Amino acid sequence: MNNRTHPHKTYRFSAMASPCEVQIDGEDLALLDLLGRIAEAEARRIEVKFSRYNDNSIISQINRSNGATVAVDSETMALLRYANSCYELSEGLFDITSGVLRRLWTFDGSDKVPTAAQVNDLLPLVGWPKVTLGENALTLLPGMEIDFGGLGKEYAVDRAMLLISARTDVPILVNFGGDLRVSGLRADGSPWRIAVEAVDTSIDTQTLEVKGGALTTSGDAKRFLLKDGIRYSHILDPRTGWPVVDPPRSVTVAASTCMEAGIFSTLAMAKGAEAERFVTEERCAAWISR
Amino acid sequence: MQLMSNRKPSIAAALCMITANLLTSTIAFAQNTNDGTDSAVPNSLPAIHNAYDEPAEELGTTSVDSAILYYKESNGRVQAIEPMVSITHTTKGGSIFSGKVTFDSLTGATPNGATPWSGTQTFVAPVKGGGEHGLTGASGTLVTNPVTGLKERQYTTSPNALPLDKAFRDSRIAVDLGYSRPIAANTKLNLGVNGSVEQDYRSLSGRLGIAQDLNNKTTTLSLGVNFEHDQSKPFHGIPIAFSQMSGTPAALNSRNKTVLSAVAGVTQVLTPNLLVQLNYSFGSSKGYHSDPYRLLSVLDPTTGAPLRYLYEGRPDKRTRHSVYGAAKLATGSFVTDLSARYYHDSWGINSYTVELSEHIPLFSKAYLEPHGRYYHQSKADFFTYYLPSTAALPSFASSDSRLDSFNAVTLGLSGGFELTPKLELYANAESYRQSKSGSLGVVPVGINNQKLYSGTNSISGLVGIKFKF
Repeated sequence: MNNRTHPHKTYRFSAMASPCEVQIDGEDLALLDLLGRIAEAEARRIEVKFSRYNDNSIISQINRSNGATVAVDSETMALLRYANSCYELSEGLFDITSGVLRRLWTFDGSDKVPTAAQVNDLLPLVGWPKVTLGENALTLLPGMEIDFGGLGKEYAVDRAMLLISARTDVPILVNFGGDLRVSGLRADGSPWRIAVEAVDTSIDTQTLEVKGGALTTSGDAKRFLLKDGIRYSHILDPRTGWPVVDPPRSVTVAASTCMEAGIFSTLAMAKGAEAERFVTEERCAAWISR
Repeated sequence: MQLMSNRKPSIAAALCMITANLLTSTIAFAQNTNDGTDSAVPNSLPAIHNAYDEPAEELGTTSVDSAILYYKESNGRVQAIEPMVSITHTTKGGSIFSGKVTFDSLTGATPNGATPWSGTQTFVAPVKGGGEHGLTGASGTLVTNPVTGLKERQYTTSPNALPLDKAFRDSRIAVDLGYSRPIAANTKLNLGVNGSVEQDYRSLSGRLGIAQDLNNKTTTLSLGVNFEHDQSKPFHGIPIAFSQMSGTPAALNSRNKTVLSAVAGVTQVLTPNLLVQLNYSFGSSKGYHSDPYRLLSVLDPTTGAPLRYLYEGRPDKRTRHSVYGAAKLATGSFVTDLSARYYHDSWGINSYTVELSEHIPLFSKAYLEPHGRYYHQSKADFFTYYLPSTAALPSFASSDSRLDSFNAVTLGLSGGFELTPKLELYANAESYRQSKSGSLGVVPVGINNQKLYSGTNSISGLVGIKFKF
């Protein structure tokens, strides 16, 4: 991911269905091992707690609640409030209840586009305002689901960086499946050089220099549907249940935290043809490829 | 020229704030260690919390904190031993119940208020229960007053020594009950009552506070009021202000004081690592503010020879204002606390305090926290070391060193060690040194080499244990 001219060491593991790594400047393998374990434990803690694929996670409990009120702990509550704010700020484009649309949309390169009637039948189960958020509990309508798919990995990166930077001042890079954050400049004062994987082999790999903060990339050119000559992107608009028109192939955003970068890259994708205008108006440091 | 369209406000600033707030508020979440990896990574990150909030407790837990404090003033003055136990329960719904019981046992000698003199001074005081319980040698001897026929306690002070009453012995039990609960999204209500009983003093107070979180919990506004009722009831009654020192109990049994105070504050999370706070508080008290045991020497204005001793007298009203600002900065798991306070009251006392502490994590399960505090106050308008025999009596006068102008420096070191994730040992050691600031005022020539300032130095130590279940 970065250039090989400076000495650095990498701790690798796999979590949240992604390759994950922690890099430190220098040669201190014992420190790397400690920091790597901290990051790994945090990634696994968050995965176990919030993954919708884990039947025992709080998210699965909420999704099984069938209309009943579910009491949640304060960390989950803080994330739900965060998602609520993101919904409001994005005027509905960021919506953690939109996952049920995946029942209809499988972006496998085929032509299996659902009918308008199928989408309309599902829309009553989508929409964050249908969720009642209490002080320490939430209530979904029967059949609704939520997931932290758009937040979880970014939260894990920020949390891991928080825990790691409490232990050391050595320059660190935390990268969970392409969502990454650095602690600051490298030991020699140079920025981290990050290669952003091209989503399309016809485009050259771009190298970005990161002095501090976070970088995330949204977009996956391999996930789409093609029917009657229309290419349906895998970015769904939660307000309509239909794919966003003309989204970029990928959006890479730099911000001070991974969560902010992640929200911006997700929103830029969801803005479709307006992505460039959105990042310009928001004065985001962003790289959009079409 | 093309006009700019009416753009919607940027979401970047709002997103930055809520992200900072989320990562700050969830800083303390522990890593699960039974997750199938062998990484039993200990976690000792301090939580940054709003100074008005209760410490972040996990829902549905109870914690018990028990400690003992030892306090000792230099030169054989007051010593205190104070055991304390508190219990806090956080319900699944986020309500917090807390209870605390403190017991104090104080013994030693306190300045009686008189000035030092080159000769031996003799003082009398009423004696409890007519004297049938006897006296310890140090606190004086029992004598019979030839006029009243009553037993009195008589004690002496050696030449050039600060007059101390060595009979000081008291015990106090204090109980505090608190309750806090969310009453709406982002609004928290807290209530509490506090009562304490000493042999000669009773105090009962109730408080009500409300805290409102705004801007995605990055701002907290708080408002609190407290009402206190105190009763001073010494066994020898309440002496009349400026009446002569006497071994005869006073006719008036007890007097009361009421205190109404209010505080308004704002706390702001500026970045994930920086929190600032600003408070204003106001207090108004009415009733008996004097110390019923404290004397004032009436001196010959030239020689400084004590002619007689009178009981002190303070105003019946006191109004206080203070402004407090604080900042808490986290750098990794190091936390720096800096605060300053300015205080003014209607008795003419102005004071300021500056305080700094640094939380230093040690390895993964321990911490050290050095702290320092500087305090300065000016004297109360009616503070005086003595009354000149040639002048008319003032309306109010007291020689209490707490009303004098002085500087104080506190240096201390705290530390804690986590034995298990549910059990923590902690300790604190502190030194407090007072020194006179400013001029002594007009002092009779005959006593200008005496040490009039009666402030003290002290040390204290505390050990405690905290556990959660």
